[in-house]
Parts: sequence; C-alpha cells; structure tokens
Amino acid sequence: MSFEPKILGIACNWCTYTGADLAGTTRLQYPQNIRVVRVMCSSRINPSFIFRAFQLGADGVLIGGCHPGDCHYNTGNLYARRRLAVTKKILEFSGMEPGRFRVEWISASEGNRFAEVVREFTEQIRDLGPQTKFKISQ
Amino acid sequence: MAISFEQIEQHLKTEALKLLESGKVILVLAYGRGYDANHPMPYVAKHPSDVDNIVFNEYCTANLARYLTRYPRRTKIAIAVKAADSRAVVQLIQEDKVCREDLVVLGIPVYGMKNFKTGEVIDSKTTGGLYNPVLYDILLGEEVHGQPVSSPYDVLAAYEAMDKEERWAFWQRELGRCIRCYACRKACPMCYCDPCFIDQNKPKWGEKSPESPGNLMYHLTRFHHLAGRCIDCGECSRACPVDIPLYLFHKKVAKDCEEMFGQAAGMSIGDKPVLVNFRVDDSDKILE
Repeated sequence: MSFEPKILGIACNWCTYTGADLAGTTRLQYPQNIRVVRVMCSSRINPSFIFRAFQLGADGVLIGGCHPGDCHYNTGNLYARRRLAVTKKILEFSGMEPGRFRVEWISASEGNRFAEVVREFTEQIRDLGPQTKFKISQ
Repeated sequence: MAISFEQIEQHLKTEALKLLESGKVILVLAYGRGYDANHPMPYVAKHPSDVDNIVFNEYCTANLARYLTRYPRRTKIAIAVKAADSRAVVQLIQEDKVCREDLVVLGIPVYGMKNFKTGEVIDSKTTGGLYNPVLYDILLGEEVHGQPVSSPYDVLAAYEAMDKEERWAFWQRELGRCIRCYACRKACPMCYCDPCFIDQNKPKWGEKSPESPGNLMYHLTRFHHLAGRCIDCGECSRACPVDIPLYLFHKKVAKDCEEMFGQAAGMSIGDKPVLVNFRVDDSDKILE
C-alpha cells in the first residue's frame, strides 16, 4: 500500500480556518491527508503541540495564520512568527527534517491558496516518507 | 595579570560584612565551603557572624541568580555574580521577577573558573569572551582586560557541520542517557515555573519515565522555553549527573535568536526578551 501521510494542520480561526472553509464552499479539491485543528490565533500555538504531534505520529505539521499586519488581535501573529521560527530551528538542530514543519500566512479570502499549499505540502511529505524519528513506537 | 581568588574572597567578605551590619540587605548570596575546598556550595549569609564562612575559589561556578526568585519581593538581597551570572540577574529584572532596587549586585570580574568535576577551565566553553559583569553596584577587584576574546558560539562549529542524521543520532544518544533528575532545571536561574510543564498531568505534555520519547519532549521544550533567555552560564551541563552537553543546544538556540532578532539575552535592563517582543519588520525569511 502506498504511503499516505498524516498531516496536522493548525489554523487560526480568523484567516486560515475561514480560508479553508472558503476552499470547501467553493468545492476546491485538496488532499484529505490534512486534519485541521482550529485555534483562535496562531500565537495560541504552544510549541509543545508541534513536538507532541510528531511524537504521536504526525508526518508533517502545517501552521496557518493571518498575514502579518492582519491579525484579528493586532499583534498575535507577530509574536507567533518569532516563536515558530525558533521552533523550526530547534527541530532542525535536533535532527528532524526541516521540511516536515511549515508555517504559512493564508488569509480568509485565499481559499485557492489554502488548497494549493495543502497539495504542495502533502506532496513534499510524501517524498520525505513516514516520520519515524519522533514517533513513539507502540 | 593573574586572578587572585584570595583577594576576591577578602573583598567579598568585607563588602558582605558592611552590607549586613548596616542593614542595607538582610541576606547575602555567596559561596560557602562544601565537603572539601574543591566543592564550594551556594551559601546564604544572614548575620554578620556568617560572613567568615564565605569562600571564593576557581570552583565557585554555581549561578547564584538561581536563588533570587525564591525570596519574596521587597527582600533586600546582596548577590555575588560573575560575568554570566550578572546576565542572569539582568534577565530576571527584564522579566520582572526581581526588582533592581532590592538588589545589591557584587560583581566579580574573573576568568579561569574550573569545572569541579573535571578540573577543566570553562572560559571558552561558556563565558565566551565576557569576563566582566554587565551589571554591578560594587565591583570586587579590577576589570579584566586583555584576555583572549572568542565568540561564545565557536564550540558549535563541529555540531553544525554534522548532517541531520548524525545530529539526530548524537542527540538520541545524549538525551537517551537522561535519568530525569531535573538537576538542569534546578540549577537554571531562568527555570522558575511552578509547576514545570513536565510535572503537569492535565494536559500531560510528555512521558515522565526516563526513556527516549519523554526525554526528547522534556529537553526540546526546555530548550524552547529558554530561547532568547538562556544566558549561557553552562550550569545545566555541570549540574547534570550524566554529563549531557545541554549547553550546546542552548548555545545553538541562543545563536539563532541573536542572528534572527539581533539581541543577546541579559545584556541590558532596558531590553525585552526576544520572544515576548516583536518587530513589525521581522522578515518572513526566518520561517523558511
């Protein structure tokens, strides 16, 4: 059986989640490998969520937030940008493939872009293969 | 110019006695004798008569800023700090954990400190060219000049050159040895959360048994929590009973933070820690 990646998407309520909604209502096709979790803001994302997702078997983690400057809470995504940049560096230095973690700014009107990013990211993870480093073996 | 540890000890005793007798502070955080002269311990002098027990020698590596957050606010404290420790004090002031007004900082300009386990000189590993405290009220001795100044990040080169598989194997091996005694957390001046995330049961962030998955979760999250705050004293690695080189990862994160955000931890009271701050013109490139 071919490898179907499991991707965790964490999306901000105001932009990316609404964008995903738009992709749905406009009947855009995108891979069903992504499981989207809604949070109120990208700065709500605790870096431990990401480490934990990888441990519990996610092959990739995609984070979506509002474009910088467009945050519903004015500055949330600006904090998140710094924090997630550090998360990325930590994953990289620990030996994780950097391609498994991605942050994208997708606004509520960019349904197309959401579908496109998910397609692209799923392909990327498919090429990388199953994530075995962090995964806790049962 | 060689450092005279006896002289520093004398200075320290004199200043501590003055401060305690005048009632300016109610306690002095310094070093006392452990079970032998090579194993000094943190020591709290509360009465002028305690001052005789204060020692200072090349093995006094402990970071006393660790103990500042244990006392209630408005406690007047005098603290003996070396270069890295003074950055910890600055960082704690930035985070509003202690008040500048409550502290009398006794700065110790020093080099040639040694690891008490191995006897190895730790300058190049952790203090990285910083020999004089960045913040002090009273300087014990003269400022150090003319010592070789290296980048604190030089020791990283060998690890950055590894490819990701090698790095993964390296950290698996190192973190796999962790026995989860939490000495790193106890020794760290910046680890003051109560409760620590790893002690929480709801949500349970990671496994608590000393096995690889839980160790990885604990250490990676700890590195993240100390991002932009770690002041590079290296005390976590010295406190570690199984000698995991935790300082390497902390240094790497500190280096990345400095490169991305242009600010090192604990250098000036006016700064804000990088992760509770932002710039509108931060580049999106940092996420690539």
